[in-house]
Amino acid sequence: MGKDHLLPILALSVLLIASSSSLYVYATQTTTEILLINGQEYTIDQLFSLAQPRTSNDSQYTGIALDDLMRKTGVSNPEQHTYTIKGTDGYEKTVTWENMKNGLLTYDRESFFSDLPKAFRVKEIITIEVN
Amino acid sequence: MNKKFIVGIIVFGSLWGFTECIIGSLLRDVNLPAGAIMTGVFAIGLMTLSRTTFRQPGMQTGIGLVAGALRFFNPFGGCFICSAIAIMAEGLLFDLIWTGFSLDQKSSQSLIMQTSLGITAAYLVYIGGYIITQILTPVFSSAGFYLENLLVFIPQILASGLLAALLGAGIVPAVVALKRIPLTLQDRLYYPVTIGISVFCWVFVILNTISIIWL
Repeated sequence: MGKDHLLPILALSVLLIASSSSLYVYATQTTTEILLINGQEYTIDQLFSLAQPRTSNDSQYTGIALDDLMRKTGVSNPEQHTYTIKGTDGYEKTVTWENMKNGLLTYDRESFFSDLPKAFRVKEIITIEVN
Repeated sequence: MNKKFIVGIIVFGSLWGFTECIIGSLLRDVNLPAGAIMTGVFAIGLMTLSRTTFRQPGMQTGIGLVAGALRFFNPFGGCFICSAIAIMAEGLLFDLIWTGFSLDQKSSQSLIMQTSLGITAAYLVYIGGYIITQILTPVFSSAGFYLENLLVFIPQILASGLLAALLGAGIVPAVVALKRIPLTLQDRLYYPVTIGISVFCWVFVILNTISIIWL
């Protein structure tokens, strides 16, 4: 088969992969008001009554301190763990304890870290896993 | 390598870098899918135009290097070093696709070939750049890179390339059609015009950066 025939087949395959991935993402997307932190279920209001407030350096983001939240939810030796933050869309980022000390969780369930780039802002968080 | 070719790389790279820094920021500000639009329209459009004009392998890698270098002068929007490297990689990917399919040897291509090329190039360039950014951003940060973070997000990355592919399907035939318009730059004007455009792009981006930092 010549390259002339290969390119349209490749283009069709690309469209098939992209379309089926879109369907998969749509079908597997979850919506929940419950957050699973260190294996326990909480609502965002419960978490906000539990942990200390924190504001980002530029005062643009306000929420609760992620390091305090981990302590209050019963994580022992928190500095010895890493933390995987997962969103409803499947996006997840793993951070260190040092990052958690600079991180906050907003009421909209978004993470913000003053020492990490924008890519670490996980939206609509559903789980914070202690590794 | 002749002087005209080098200047071609600089002008197309400067235009791509300019659109990434200025138009890309504007699109993000109005919550449009900037990544897919930037790749599907501007990156693929400029690289197709340059490749069909000069027909020389390696040109888009050079264009990506110039555009990526210009991104360093616009240090905003998260990990700008990662964006710069991703742009450079996008140029290389386009170059490999075009060279791999021996498209320089054909004087004209059918509409099916043009559309197929647009879909394939835009999609692969977009998801390639996306994956590279997802790897490099954590690597350059204090958090570190975790492969499982990338693997679970692969379906979303593959899905997000659909818009870029559809835009690419339209932009490659549009560029080929645009090239049929008999517009030629006289030799005595080639260097002043191309160098002038390049200088404008660099000065605009640098002044824009300075104004954001100072104001």
